[in-house]
Amino acid sequence: MSDRRLRLAVGVLSTAGAAVAGYLVYARYTDTTLACVTGGCETVQRSDYAVLAGVPVAVLGLVAYLVLLATAFSTSELARLVGAVVAVSGALFAAYLLYAQIVVIDAVCQWCVTSDVLIALLAVTCVLRLRSG
Amino acid sequence: MSRRTYAAVGAIALLVAAALISASLIGARGGQPARAEQLSKDDSSILLRGIPQSGPILGLPDAPVTLVEFADPQCPYCAQWSQQAFPELVRDYVRPGKVRIVFAGLAFIGPDSDEALRFVLAAGRQGKLWPVVDLLYKNQGAENSGWVSDGLLREVGDAVPGLDVERALRENHSPPVERELAAARDLQARLGVRSTPAFAASGAGGTLAPVQITSLDAGGIRPALDTLLAR
Repeated sequence: MSDRRLRLAVGVLSTAGAAVAGYLVYARYTDTTLACVTGGCETVQRSDYAVLAGVPVAVLGLVAYLVLLATAFSTSELARLVGAVVAVSGALFAAYLLYAQIVVIDAVCQWCVTSDVLIALLAVTCVLRLRSG
Repeated sequence: MSRRTYAAVGAIALLVAAALISASLIGARGGQPARAEQLSKDDSSILLRGIPQSGPILGLPDAPVTLVEFADPQCPYCAQWSQQAFPELVRDYVRPGKVRIVFAGLAFIGPDSDEALRFVLAAGRQGKLWPVVDLLYKNQGAENSGWVSDGLLREVGDAVPGLDVERALRENHSPPVERELAAARDLQARLGVRSTPAFAASGAGGTLAPVQITSLDAGGIRPALDTLLAR
């Protein structure tokens, strides 16, 4: 696949991820109840796992998606490297958070799962970008 | 790119992920605290022994300060406040007759909140609201998963000495319970409450005003109560 197509995919996926993370950040700071069909969103968002060293995980996610979005606008080797590191580490952390939701918290947040899928796809796409360079 | 580049990217990503996971594990301190509590662990009946309970009100009717607690039985932070702050406030303010606490139940989170809330308010008609809400907090399930079943309510009710469980279940859609729900919603709208737990307080002869808590332990609300008591 050409780098142009991969950059387009990174752009679309990271925009979607930023929208999801942005919604979670908005809900957190405005005390808005999350729209939730899985029934566990508030439990997950108010669990200890939703905050990392005092920073909401949603904020970290938003920053990560915005960095990934920025890498989609560049063809440089640095952008591809940064994109791969951010996306792969993000996907690993997302896998841990998914485990925490299912096994420890015993509640699933649809927005978190959506974000997990997006970051996993981004990890694959960003690694493919390394190959295309 | 070279094989070494892939290895470097993989190693850095692993290190970053390991750091994130370690920080999360340290912060999580073992996960959700409330779920594992036993249904039979009714500590609050002991804590509240001898304190007047009338409907949603806990404490002496002529206590100089009134504290209103807006809470949703499904809200994890409400459960945390109930465990961390409530016992201390009862000991230091309610039992000595300084403060009375009024429970304003809101069903923010969904259908299970409504079911739980109705049972809580019906128990309040028998002067047992506070032990019931405490036990529900200790046994919170996944939001709107149907955890507030008749079976759970019966088990919770059976664990509260002196509560007529069948009567509480019969009365959970009664006009007095509907009035309590409506009164809490009206107060919520009047004070602009948008999340739980939230608080409002008034001193002797004063009007209710929102109180911002700074933490979920008793220290988060003590200054506000002390200020009202000093007036």
